[in-house]
Amino acid sequence: MRHPTDGTLRRLVDEPVGVSDADRAHVANCPECLAGVAAAQEDATFAGAALEVHHDADVDLAWQRLSLKASTSVGDAENPVGPARSWRARLRSPVAAGVGVLALLAGASAAAAGDWFQIFSTEQVAPVTITQESLVELPDLSAYGQLVVVDEVDLSEVPTAAAAEEATGLEVPQVEVLPQGVRGEPVFEVVDQVSGIFTFSVDEAQQSAEAEGETLQPPPAGLDGSQFRLEAGPGLAAIWTEQRGLPALVVARAVAPTVYSSGVPFETARDYLLSLPGLPEDIESQLRSFAADGATLPVPVPEELMTSSTTEINGADATLVEARDGTMAAVIWVEDGVVTAVAGSVSDDEVLTVARGLG
Amino acid sequence: MNVVQHGAAVPADGHGVATWRALQKGGVAVATPQGRGAVRADLEEVFRAAYPRVVGVAARVLGSRDEAEDVAQEVFLKFARSSVPVGAASGWLSVAAAHTALNHLRSGRRRANREEAVGDGVTIAPDVAETIVTLDERRQVRAALGRLPHRQAVALVLRHSGLSYAQVAAALDLSPASVGTTVRRAESALRKELNGHASSD
Repeated sequence: MRHPTDGTLRRLVDEPVGVSDADRAHVANCPECLAGVAAAQEDATFAGAALEVHHDADVDLAWQRLSLKASTSVGDAENPVGPARSWRARLRSPVAAGVGVLALLAGASAAAAGDWFQIFSTEQVAPVTITQESLVELPDLSAYGQLVVVDEVDLSEVPTAAAAEEATGLEVPQVEVLPQGVRGEPVFEVVDQVSGIFTFSVDEAQQSAEAEGETLQPPPAGLDGSQFRLEAGPGLAAIWTEQRGLPALVVARAVAPTVYSSGVPFETARDYLLSLPGLPEDIESQLRSFAADGATLPVPVPEELMTSSTTEINGADATLVEARDGTMAAVIWVEDGVVTAVAGSVSDDEVLTVARGLG
Repeated sequence: MNVVQHGAAVPADGHGVATWRALQKGGVAVATPQGRGAVRADLEEVFRAAYPRVVGVAARVLGSRDEAEDVAQEVFLKFARSSVPVGAASGWLSVAAAHTALNHLRSGRRRANREEAVGDGVTIAPDVAETIVTLDERRQVRAALGRLPHRQAVALVLRHSGLSYAQVAAALDLSPASVGTTVRRAESALRKELNGHASSD
């Protein structure tokens, strides 16, 4: 077999349980790899010593300091929080969720090999209610094979709507009438396409299952070694901020995530992936209920904080998400393979008005 | 695996993920802004449990306990007004501390000679000569850290602060396998940089 990567050798130094048995067996009998582990160990020790700073934190004193600040300075000036980021994060979360939960990956693209055919395309958004606990339990797909991120998330600000359109090939939605309290010109941000390739490995899935004391169901024929490619984006966002720097309104649009398979049909792959150990049963059953053609983009909604309902935006099915404390609302829908979202620290009526009036 | 939230928060999916990605980009994401001025009720509990680690992360970046405590305060203030789930708090805070401290390191916002501004009962080392040598070495380490690619520096500091590969992976939107590679590169570069300087050992 091939030598394990430097990264694997490094992990043997301080988290060997994360390294596969096959790699460990290889290293134990390979002088070259053993030397690599030793070198990694030396560098790690050196770095650890260089970075170490002795400190005995006085938690009580620090807590007094914080509680004073937290109660007196709500928007302290030395706190350059970029609230727009949090909204952008929220807007991107459906995309991330589609990728994460369904699978397979983290992005997509590239390698546009001729034998890829599309197995999953997003035509509709459906809310998935996920508790914090279940989020924590979502499986790391790297336990079931190899995930290669081809194009990582790359966000940047552009000066104008025209520049955003040029960068993404998407039309920037025009807001005709801004909600009360929202004014000024928006900032435009763009994100390039993200993409990744996931290669399913029955061996690794088996090991992961055994590590959790579970038994892996026999995989469908042809799944072992099958590759799935996911693409999402590019996307853009127009962000209005209010005087205090909080995001007042965000209108975002992105090419919906799409998964391609090199051979195994989508439903087969999906059902099997959903049956893998580690995926909470409630999420599994929710995912199973999605449209059989897989044309659904799940939106994770932390039920402690948000509620979701279905609505309609100019003929397209949409999901309306509202914070339980009334501080924000968002509506998300998919049309012709493009996800559009409107969100803000405004009421649900206001986001719907903006969404339905987009030009 | 215990990741923080995201959607994986740490792991890779969903809701948390996006937050973590935002963190990775700028280190200042607040997962869910609450109403103005609202301070979360579980703040003290989270603070007491996570403070030492958060200071430790910032101190590894900055080489100064005082500055690290300032960064920790800044990070907890952001957290106080966020809705980051409590289960994700420790990871979120560690990542935010790493980003914020690195931003301080690079933006020149550091207070000059902060390490020497003791005098308020904080002792650094008993021996003056040794202290000076240590300070010089610390500066070199911070300079080297500041020259590493951001992601490498964050992965390095988080791993050496005790976050698992899975947690670092989620924080940086990497696969656990890539974490090893990223940390390995950072350590190799750091050692090379520092050995290029006078200091041995």
